[in-house]
Amino acid sequence: MIETKFTRYERARIIGARALQISMGAPVLIKVDRKEPIDIAMMELEKGVIPITVKRTLKEKN
Amino acid sequence: MSVDQETIAESISALPLPRKVMDNLTHELKNVKVTKRQFDEILKRTAATYDYSRIEAGEAAGVVSAQSIGEPGTQMTMRTFHYAGVAEINVTLGLPRLIEIVDARKNPSTPMMTIFLEKDYAFDRDKARELAWKIEATYITVLGSMSTDITEMKLIIELNKKSLLQRNMTTKEVADKIEEELGVSSEIEEDVLIMRPEESSYRQLLQLVKSVQSVILKGIKGIKRVVIRKEESGEYVLYTEGSALKEVLAIDGVDATRTRTNNISEIFEVMGIEAARASLIHEATETLKEQGLTVDVRHIMLVADIMTVDGDVKPIGRHGISGEKASVLARAAFEVTVSHLLDSGLGGDVDELRGVTENVIVGQPIRLGTGNVKLIAKKPVKGE
Repeated sequence: MIETKFTRYERARIIGARALQISMGAPVLIKVDRKEPIDIAMMELEKGVIPITVKRTLKEKN
Repeated sequence: MSVDQETIAESISALPLPRKVMDNLTHELKNVKVTKRQFDEILKRTAATYDYSRIEAGEAAGVVSAQSIGEPGTQMTMRTFHYAGVAEINVTLGLPRLIEIVDARKNPSTPMMTIFLEKDYAFDRDKARELAWKIEATYITVLGSMSTDITEMKLIIELNKKSLLQRNMTTKEVADKIEEELGVSSEIEEDVLIMRPEESSYRQLLQLVKSVQSVILKGIKGIKRVVIRKEESGEYVLYTEGSALKEVLAIDGVDATRTRTNNISEIFEVMGIEAARASLIHEATETLKEQGLTVDVRHIMLVADIMTVDGDVKPIGRHGISGEKASVLARAAFEVTVSHLLDSGLGGDVDELRGVTENVIVGQPIRLGTGNVKLIAKKPVKGE
């Protein structure tokens, strides 16, 4: 599969979900000195280490 | 060292751009000398600008469109019902006109045509005028005066020589036309026509006067007036009050590729749904532009697209888009809530909860923007 860029909505959802995980104690995947889960999640996304991706559907399934 | 035309055309057609943009680019680069590096830069920037102009998947395009048309709409003059438009012809403009377009009215309150002429006619004043007379509906009242002789029970029509000459008609032609339409023959005495009703009663005579007045001697029914105007390009263009696209296009000398009417449903009937869509966009843009407002075409295009998707020009509103929504809840939210709910309850309808309104009612996230993103766990890549 060709890796395409995320839309801004997808980025927001991924960062949001990841920040929630971090805030609840999930291990951080990069070395950072920041404390805010949102900031950490954003940096993780930039590095591409977040184990979350999106599922895109062209047509709705019934 | 410049890039030759062939390579330019080739590289442009290989780009992932829409046709229109490619055509514009090719046109702009015609007979322009560019180096390879400049050319690459042009392509790069065009692609980047195009990419930047695109909206992202999940964007609430409809809401943005609605707001982008609605806000300038509030600035429009409320009631410019009759505003002196092009060349002394009254045209409905402003908000009433915009409402008319969006409502997909069958007949606009002021139908109007812009008739372009073919090359041989467009720059010749006399030929243009001749065509104008061919198009404008001519009634007997403009050619002469009518009087009734009650003692002899006859109708006397005195024709004006000058008017006849101007319209390139003869007394005989007028008489023939009336006979053809009404079946009443007339005696011709130079410029005077004398007619008698079948029965010689006063009532019949009055009836005859009325029917003679309604006969179209020359021109097209529905076109009340034609104004000839010389455009800046030196071309003569005809503007008409009243519209009859099909008939006008059949006349020799009329440029069918450019001639237009402001009656969208007429364009749809004569030229089809794509032409109707294009004309919706044109009319809406012009109406807004006339008021000094500019709305990005893409918003208007979206409206026009929705109105024409299923091959018929549908109005926005109760009788069209909003009233035909598939979802019961969305329809109930729009108008006459109870009867919609009652009917669908009786019919056992199912709401799929796909639209925005339904999900707001139910209390779910709407399927737009971040609400439309489905997250899944990514498989970890080996070796990482």
